[in-house]
Amino acid sequence: MRSFILTGPGRLVVTILAVLLLTSGFFIAIGRDPFSLLWLIARSAVGDGYALTETLVRTTPILLCALATALPARIGLITVGAEGQLYFGALIGTGFVLANLNGTGPWLFFAMLAAAMLAAGAWAAGAALLKSHLGVNETIVTLLTNYVAALLVTWVVYGSWKNPASQGWPATAEFPAAFKPFTFFDSRVHVGLWIAVALALMLHVLLTRTRWGLTLDILRSNPRAGIAAGLRWRRNVVLTMALGGMLAGLAGILETASIQGRLQANISAGAGFSGFLVAWLARNHCLRIVPMSLLVGALLASGDGLQMLANLPSSISLVVQGLLFVGVLLAGGGLRRLERGHG
Amino acid sequence: MHIQLRGITRRFGATLANDAVDLDLEAGRVTALLGENGAGKSTLMKILFGYHRADAGEILLDGAAVRIDSPRTATSLGIGMVFQQFSLILAFTVRENLALAHPRLPWWLARGARAFPDPIKRLREIAPEVDPDVQVARLSVGEMQLVELVKVLNLEARVVILDEPTSVLTPAEAERLWAEIGRIAADGAAVVLITHKLDDVFACADDVAIMRRGRMVARLETADATADRLVHLVVGEEPATAQPIAAAPDAVVRTWIRTLSASDEAGTIADIDLRIAGGEILGIAGVSGNGQQTLADAITGLATIHVGELIVDGRTLQAPRAETPAQPSVACLPEQPLRNAIAPDLSVAVNLMLKRVRDLPFLPDRSRMLADASALVKAFDIRPTNPAVLAGSLSGGNLQKLVAARELSGSPALVVACYPTMGLDVAAAAAVYDALFAHARRGACVLWISEDLDDLLHYAHRIAVLYRGRVAGVVSAATATRRQLGAWMVGHAEAETVPAVHA
Repeated sequence: MRSFILTGPGRLVVTILAVLLLTSGFFIAIGRDPFSLLWLIARSAVGDGYALTETLVRTTPILLCALATALPARIGLITVGAEGQLYFGALIGTGFVLANLNGTGPWLFFAMLAAAMLAAGAWAAGAALLKSHLGVNETIVTLLTNYVAALLVTWVVYGSWKNPASQGWPATAEFPAAFKPFTFFDSRVHVGLWIAVALALMLHVLLTRTRWGLTLDILRSNPRAGIAAGLRWRRNVVLTMALGGMLAGLAGILETASIQGRLQANISAGAGFSGFLVAWLARNHCLRIVPMSLLVGALLASGDGLQMLANLPSSISLVVQGLLFVGVLLAGGGLRRLERGHG
Repeated sequence: MHIQLRGITRRFGATLANDAVDLDLEAGRVTALLGENGAGKSTLMKILFGYHRADAGEILLDGAAVRIDSPRTATSLGIGMVFQQFSLILAFTVRENLALAHPRLPWWLARGARAFPDPIKRLREIAPEVDPDVQVARLSVGEMQLVELVKVLNLEARVVILDEPTSVLTPAEAERLWAEIGRIAADGAAVVLITHKLDDVFACADDVAIMRRGRMVARLETADATADRLVHLVVGEEPATAQPIAAAPDAVVRTWIRTLSASDEAGTIADIDLRIAGGEILGIAGVSGNGQQTLADAITGLATIHVGELIVDGRTLQAPRAETPAQPSVACLPEQPLRNAIAPDLSVAVNLMLKRVRDLPFLPDRSRMLADASALVKAFDIRPTNPAVLAGSLSGGNLQKLVAARELSGSPALVVACYPTMGLDVAAAAAVYDALFAHARRGACVLWISEDLDDLLHYAHRIAVLYRGRVAGVVSAATATRRQLGAWMVGHAEAETVPAVHA
């Protein structure tokens, strides 16, 4: 049998077709017309200026969380902790804001970011230290500590940090204007998007062009060989995890300060997990993460449109997100089989 | 059964692994398939076993063409193969492993297989001393090989292929295996022994087929073969021989392994105290698994050191709780290079400069890395010659050469070599020995871990024997006897074995 090899664009087409087929199948299964719904998703994601800016708003935390996953992955760590790091960053950043409610000065905004990032970095470093010094599985630790971080936020917004003026609504006091990020085009798109894209570019260069990137590649490929060559595995495990945590923490505090304007439970809307999936889709390649985040951000942003215009629950976009990954997996596996000639 | 391979051709990328190869195998005969690393022996047999597909050519069984598209098909045709990497499940017992692979055992009984004696019947014949209820992880490599062989025989294989079976065995284990191979052939099976060791050929092969660079270059009866002729056919030219070192070591001790106790996942060593003079080759003998790996790991910083230190030229390089950056003064050729010394999904170029990564500029110059690598690739005859290919795609022998190129191209003060020629053919082994011993002539200390007593006695200045993580004895190679070393290797005290000395 002739072997069958598809190059880049061909693979992409097959993958997109697989995802569309799966999604259409799902829509048919719930008794809806797949073409009109797919069209509606596209329109709700990028159909007009508002839809487009909402997509960008959803993209920002996903992009940061994807980078937070991809960076430790370069040394071979599988962390699902972006979600928890996001929460913990938001928590400590909010703590800083609440301690400086009457403060003035442009430095406050940056101090808030720094507080959130350092806290989330330390949170991630905790899991990293367990891995590097005790050999505890980082995936399990980050998965479980996600709940701890999210519940800590729930605890404070229902408890000591609850705004007495909010009439029982579990949220902290509104952030003063000094802590609101700069926004664009009279929309909710904030400076975080550009920070995230710039970070993606910077990380890409760091990981592919520098000695440090090479060090991480070696330690991922074979830690024993790397350690024997004098590379510091433990140090880099902690470093990549902590830096990743800082990125996710940045996502958390930006989301809190800009979109919600105060800390409340459920700030992430699953951005940490979407970020994990995006990193996986992009194979931890920092440049590919940008368009992939945009794609998933658009998909999730279309949920509101589906709810309003098609009378479907907005969580339908989460189902489509799931089908996206299943489709990519199926297409990838199928193509590999064909290439090996076992078709 | 009569197996004919006709015109088998197989290409991997730019490499022509098999080039129109013909081979006939007959029931009741042991055929040695001899050749250098990368000559295409394993590829040819993996095609017969359905693991690879041929691009061209056909396979005839008793005159009828068959299509073997998977190992499953091959198994149903009575073809079985024992790979270099065993496929045993370490956490299971011998019985469970055999039961899992046994065709007549229903799957739901595979683990509770005690009631079914059938899977272990052959084990009883071939290796009666192996307890079927012991975990495979506790077996020696030689025993694992026998279990693997029983697994294949249980499938009623009429053609048994063994891929480099003796490369991991001690001499006694190898002799044992040769006897079993002879017995299997006497029972009517066709046996193929992939090897690059002449010992294997003369010990148990009826005839020998020689491959070089993807082609079948000769086929002759073992009775008509001489070692010289075979070596000539294998390498295609007169083989390079290692220079025995005559030079006596300096009087100055350069390396001191001081009362070292350490442990890692491979084992534990205790109270190792060895001094190596400049220019001295200290051989470490012992049955595999008696602390050799841990000793090497402790020297390179991979093991946890509890007590003691490593001192080279007056500097303490390893000590308890020390941070362990790689020392340019210590070179190491580890056991199992793929596991210990190679980053498989990175390029050959990166792997060649692994130890210098820390000294690179922040923005490394990739084209210079490739150029540097090309020179080393050429000097050590690593194939393929393109330094940009992934190291993981190299054959075992070439990986070994890659590590040798990296570790032996500098001027280290101490060279640690663990089984440095395991899996290498005659010419490649000689090249590694040459490079290794050149360092001793230059005045470096060489710590050479080996199981080959003949080589140790021939090349080393002194030999230390490790037994259960401790030094059982040290002796000058000039006065050492195999008998004394053998006694130390199995833990007998000196007095028991050499009473004649005092007579």
